[in-house]
Amino acid sequence: MSDVVILGAGMHPFGRFDKTYEELGAQAAAEALRDAGVEWRQIQGAYLSRMYLPATSGARILRRLGSTDISVVDIEAACASGGAALRQAVLAVRSGEIDLAMVLGCEKMPRGFMDPSMIYSPWQIELGMSLNPAYWSMRAMRHMYEYGTTELQIAKVAYKNHRNSVHNPYAMYRKEFSLDEIVNSPLVCDPIRRLEICAPDDGAAAVVIASEKRARQLGVKGKAINIAASCHTIARYSADFRCPADSMSATANNPGPTEVTAKQAYERAGIAPKDIDCFEVQDTDAFCEIEIYESLGLCALGEGGRLVEEGSTEINGPMPVNMSGGLISKGEPVGASHLGQVVEIISQLRGTAGPRQVAGAKVGLAHVLGAGGNCAVTILQS
Amino acid sequence: MANVNEGAVSKRVPILDGLLSGSLSDPDNLTLAGCKCTSCGETALGSKTICPNCGCDTVKNISLSERGVLWSFTVVRHRPPGNYRGPEPFVPFGLGLVELPEGLRVLSPIKCDIEKLKIGLGLQFRPYVRKDPDGREVVAFAFEPVNEGGAHV
Repeated sequence: MSDVVILGAGMHPFGRFDKTYEELGAQAAAEALRDAGVEWRQIQGAYLSRMYLPATSGARILRRLGSTDISVVDIEAACASGGAALRQAVLAVRSGEIDLAMVLGCEKMPRGFMDPSMIYSPWQIELGMSLNPAYWSMRAMRHMYEYGTTELQIAKVAYKNHRNSVHNPYAMYRKEFSLDEIVNSPLVCDPIRRLEICAPDDGAAAVVIASEKRARQLGVKGKAINIAASCHTIARYSADFRCPADSMSATANNPGPTEVTAKQAYERAGIAPKDIDCFEVQDTDAFCEIEIYESLGLCALGEGGRLVEEGSTEINGPMPVNMSGGLISKGEPVGASHLGQVVEIISQLRGTAGPRQVAGAKVGLAHVLGAGGNCAVTILQS
Repeated sequence: MANVNEGAVSKRVPILDGLLSGSLSDPDNLTLAGCKCTSCGETALGSKTICPNCGCDTVKNISLSERGVLWSFTVVRHRPPGNYRGPEPFVPFGLGLVELPEGLRVLSPIKCDIEKLKIGLGLQFRPYVRKDPDGREVVAFAFEPVNEGGAHV
């Protein structure tokens, strides 16, 4: 199997902007091309990940870089859209049909809770089941009951991520909050609080990928980042209680989507969790990050709360998680979020992350998880 | 209003087709509908023709038990977005997963003082008729603690 590499990356900050989605997307795409040292007209295929944008958004954004007749497609897989789009581009390059591709994630979203009609049926909305944080909270509540995870451990995740974001120019909120402020912020859905959840916003991020052979021809092989794994799956039967579910099995015992996708990615990359130097994961809410520590294999089931409490996932800890500040501080422009994680991992592997830098990072993992049990895991190696 | 004539009954609809089992004209005796697959053994919510687990058409539609246990819950503190049809003005309410003896957990509003919500709480199915502004009567449902109400013995 031939290797696929990332030649360059670009990002428009995540936040709320008085700009069109075309402007946001084109800026990230142009920056990725500049960083890669590649001209737009050399790109042979382009993939846009997005959830809230209209049809043919990819073509509308990328025409701003010049007319083209290549295949440009929009891809949607809820919060995992970016991982699904990257995977399609990797497969296309690996097939040999094209050897230079653009993957762009872009989103522009309204403030507040997400439009429930996107994923819920009318009866679920009528009964009050249309609040995404309610689903996250029920998993948190059960985890607390089964393993003794505490509200303070959950708050510690938000504390860490908000603090990391202070040094990230791409984050929406760049403000440190004290643990006290976090545990006293209003409850959204018990036990999850205002300062422990992510907000929808705007943003864009892009990468230019190539076959290893093309990278060599372009003379940039040395600075290229290897895509060791690019995986996307949806949850097996009842393996994940996540919106918009109306019930779950009490007898099926399938492994969860993060476990399944990560296992696939570890196998493809030929590595184990202990070989990975830094992680960017789906902290839609602070509890979710604790659950993901466990399902990525960073610790045993039920030990996630302890892991954050003892500081293991701090930037200077043995397994740094969400150096960027995570979605809790960047916001979650759904289609752009995974590519945003990938851009962070690239700067970590290049050693250009400044105060967020994980010393000597050579391998990084990006993880997203969302509606329908959509999960994507990307592993990058310098 | 208490008299249910033929016309009123004909306008009565379930909140979702296939979700309730029994006669809509006798809401107190409705249960949740489910389906049990004779191939894989899984029980799922709602009447179905294909098993959502194994994809076989060997499913048998059943009535689910009225009593269950709270497996997990949250308190919804903000008005849910969209066409929420709960009490106005909005009051925070419990939403939980109720584990039924058939081997499934059903998401449902939990009608009780939010301070009383607790994993392991015994619950009872409570269907109710909601009158919509368009004249329709919609049969919806919640669960409530076994000891409150107590109409079902």
